[in-house]
Order: sequence, then structure tokens, then C-alpha cells
Amino acid sequence: MVGPGFLAGKGREDSLRRWRDLGGVLALLLVMGWILGRMGFFEPGRLAGGLVNFGRFAAELFPPDLSVLPTVLGALAETVEMAFAGTFLGFLLSFPLGVLGTRTLFPRPVVLAVRFLVAMTRTVPSLLWAVIMVIVVGLGPLAGTLALAVYTVGYLAKLYAEILEGVDPEVIEAVRGLGARRRHLVRYVLWPESANAVLSQLLFMLEYNIRSSTVLGLVGAGGIGFYMQVYISTLAYSRLATVLLAVLAVVLVMDGLSAWVRRRYLLQG
Amino acid sequence: MTTIRHTDNTGELALTPAVEVQDLWLAYRPGEWVLKSVELRVPRGQLWVVMGPSGAGKTTLMKALAGLLPFQRGTVEVMGFRLQGEPPRAFRRVVGYIPQQLGLVRGLTALENVLLGALGRHGGLGPTLGLFPRQEVTRARDYLAMLGLGDKAGTRVFNLSGGERQRVAIARTLMQDPQLILADEFVSDLDLPRAARILETIRGLVREWGLTLLMNLHEIQLVRELADHVVVLKDGRIVHQGPAGALGWSDFRALTEDGGAGVSGR
Repeated sequence: MVGPGFLAGKGREDSLRRWRDLGGVLALLLVMGWILGRMGFFEPGRLAGGLVNFGRFAAELFPPDLSVLPTVLGALAETVEMAFAGTFLGFLLSFPLGVLGTRTLFPRPVVLAVRFLVAMTRTVPSLLWAVIMVIVVGLGPLAGTLALAVYTVGYLAKLYAEILEGVDPEVIEAVRGLGARRRHLVRYVLWPESANAVLSQLLFMLEYNIRSSTVLGLVGAGGIGFYMQVYISTLAYSRLATVLLAVLAVVLVMDGLSAWVRRRYLLQG
Repeated sequence: MTTIRHTDNTGELALTPAVEVQDLWLAYRPGEWVLKSVELRVPRGQLWVVMGPSGAGKTTLMKALAGLLPFQRGTVEVMGFRLQGEPPRAFRRVVGYIPQQLGLVRGLTALENVLLGALGRHGGLGPTLGLFPRQEVTRARDYLAMLGLGDKAGTRVFNLSGGERQRVAIARTLMQDPQLILADEFVSDLDLPRAARILETIRGLVREWGLTLLMNLHEIQLVRELADHVVVLKDGRIVHQGPAGALGWSDFRALTEDGGAGVSGR
């Protein structure tokens, strides 16, 4: 139990901190209110009108026009291919880059250079990479695939370097003490000690890429996004509904599939 | 930064001691000496034990001798190699080191872990792809069988018991073909009878194959039974060296006393 003297001293400090926290929260609310106000969030008719528009839009979505289903499924297959190929290419680059970015294995300058490169890659969002790749290799799924690959490298290489650095340095030291070379350490220590985490992140990236690949077509980088854009700009909302439902189905199936792979293969041991 | 002198040119090899340390000073941080003017000379073919309270610098000494830690002052010669900076691969082939936590790769099988001991001999692409020469695989299996693990070759290390792991670590070190084995309290996690069995196995090998073994060990009973010679380290200095047989129980107690019985190493 605490004595009264202790409470008195502590209480003053506490109430000071409470006032400071309250001031902080109020300031944050004011700033957010100002930002939202500038955007028109508080204009009376605007959101209400938006709601009406949304209702009209939703009504036009239904019933979905299933006549475009063959076209949509073809484009969706291309989207999934892009996601798989892009993730695969990205992984092929990410693991070696992750290894090069591991401080327990490589000298500081190498690690810093690799990490800087990877961080640069990460600052550009995938849609912008798609624009760049369309400029570089032209319209179509190749551009989208490359965009996803580059974006994947930005994330996976960073995550892999962190995972690999988490491997017990005493094990690395012991195996190095056996006369192992660096490539042996990667093959026999880093990989077996981190394979689960590496594959788990790869699955996560695949899920993410499936989702982001659906919009790459907006900028002409292949896949279902192209039809989204066409149906939106021609106000063919019932066809758009078919697209959205198909995308939803694919995302759900892929998430389920990767959850199954995780349960089946990655949780043991 | 690497300057290594291999001193065993002529037939001098057999005459040089396994370990010769002169005035060794080592600190992890400037001014905080963990080893202070250590002098040590271990002849070949013997089993020596380093004892001492926790924090005395036993693990540090082992790591320094294994070429895994840089030191600031003094000379260290191990199996004819003058250590300074990262030792060459030839050094790794003659000096085996078993860390306290064993340093096994948990996700690999016992056999794979033992095969890692052969990596120093095979620089080619084969081992990187998971392919070892047939005779190395046979040898690794033989060592496991010799240590009573013949049926566990395909078992992953995380499924092995503590005692089984110790034996895998020994087999892996033997796979290096070492002439000197440095072992850091590596039986400290085992109960006494089991530790004794492991150490008897090792002593048998030392005798039979003419190996030299230098290890940290705190179990007085085991030291008295197994060691040829005892070195006592206290606060970074060697305070006693002598034949293990000449020491009585009370001597051991007095020499290794640290107020609260020290076990784990640093």
C-alpha cells in the first residue's frame, strides 16, 4: 500500500500529465477538423448528396451483367498470372538482396548500400511502378508483372534481411568456426533457421500482389483493371459489378488457399 | 588486418605445444580487461580443464583460442598457428570448437549437422547444393553410430534430447578431423551421470586418437576423475595450474570459490 505523502506528490505530477494529454488530444482534433473542413466534409448538402449518389450507383450495379463473364474471367486469369509471376520474380531477387543486407554476414558498406537501394524501391507505390513499366516495356501484362516484382523486392528484401539477422549469431559463429564459407552459412544456417518465416512472408506478399494486381490495368499494365476502367468510363456499372464480384471471389479464394498452405506446411516444428 | 604465420614448416610440429599463450590481454570495451596477462602452455595429447567462478573469463579464453575473438595484447599460438585476426581455413581444420550452447542448426537433421564439420575440406559447389562426397556421409554416419546415435541420423536437432544434442556436437567436431578440441562447458546442461558418460567417451577418443582437449568444466567430481591437468581462472588471471590428481576437494573449493557457486560461463 502507498502512503498518503507519496500519493500527494505523485498526484500533482499525474494531474499535470493528464492536462497535457488532454491538450494534445484537443489540438489533434482541431487540426483534423480543419483539414476535413477544407475538403468540404462539413458542407451540409455534400455528404448527403453523396449518399444519394451512392444509392443510385449501387442500384445500377445490380443485377450484375453476366454476359461479360467470359471476358472478365479471361482478364482475371491474366491478373492472377501477373501476381504469381511478379511475386516469383520479386522473390528471386529479394532473397539474395536480403542476404546481402544481413549485418551478421556482410560488411557494413555492402549492407548499407543494399538497404538504401531497397528503401528507394519501396518509396514508389506499385501503381506508379506500373506507369513506369508501361513506359519502359509498353502496355500489357509484362509491365504489370515487372511492376509487382519491383514492388515485391522493396518489401521482401527488407523483411528478409531482418529475419536473417534474427538467426542466432552463436550458431553462425559455430558453423563459421567449422571452416564454412559464406555460401555454406546461407545454405546450412540462415536458410533452415528462417525458411518458415521466409515462406510465410512470401505468401503474405502473394496475397497482397493479388489484390494490387487488380488495379494495375487502370494504367494499362494488364489484367482486369483495364475492364474496370472501361466499364467505369462508359458508365456500364452492371458490368463493373461482375468484375468486382469476380475480383472478390479470387481474393477470397487466394486468402483461403494461403491460409491452408500456412496451416498445412508452415506451422509445424 | 590478417597476419598469420604458420610455424610448422620442418619436423618441428610434434614438438610445439597444442596451445601456447603468452601475456594475453583481452577486453570487450576499452580498459575493461576480461583476460589479464594469461600465460598457458598445453602440451599435445592431454585433457586439460579450465575451472573458475562465473565471470572469470573462461568462455572468453576459449573463444580467443578458437580464433573467434580479437585480443589486444600478447601472443597466442594454437596448433602452430600464430593467431591475429581471422584465422585461415587450415586452422579451422585442426582446431574444433564446441560452444556452450553447442551451435547446432536446429532445423537440420543430426546427420546434416555432422556433415557441416566437413565443410572446411570441401570448398566446391557440391556442399552448397547439398551434395557431400559419399565417403564423408559414411564417415558422419559412423561417428553418429559410434556415439550411440545411429538411429537418429535422420532426426532434426529440435527433436533430439539434450544429451543427444551434445553427442551430435561432438560428432560434428570429430568430422573436422581436429587435433585440438576446445569445449566450453558443453555438458553443463546435463545431469551428472549423463555428463560423465559423454566425457568418458570424449576422453577415450583423446587417448585413442592422440587428440588434445581443453575444456571448461565446473563439476569437481568429473574434473578429478577425467582431467590430466587443471587451470584455475579467477577474475581474468590464472591463479593456479597443476595436475588434477594432486588436488584435494578442499583445494578445488578454495580455488573456485566465488561466494555464490558460479556455473554458466562468460
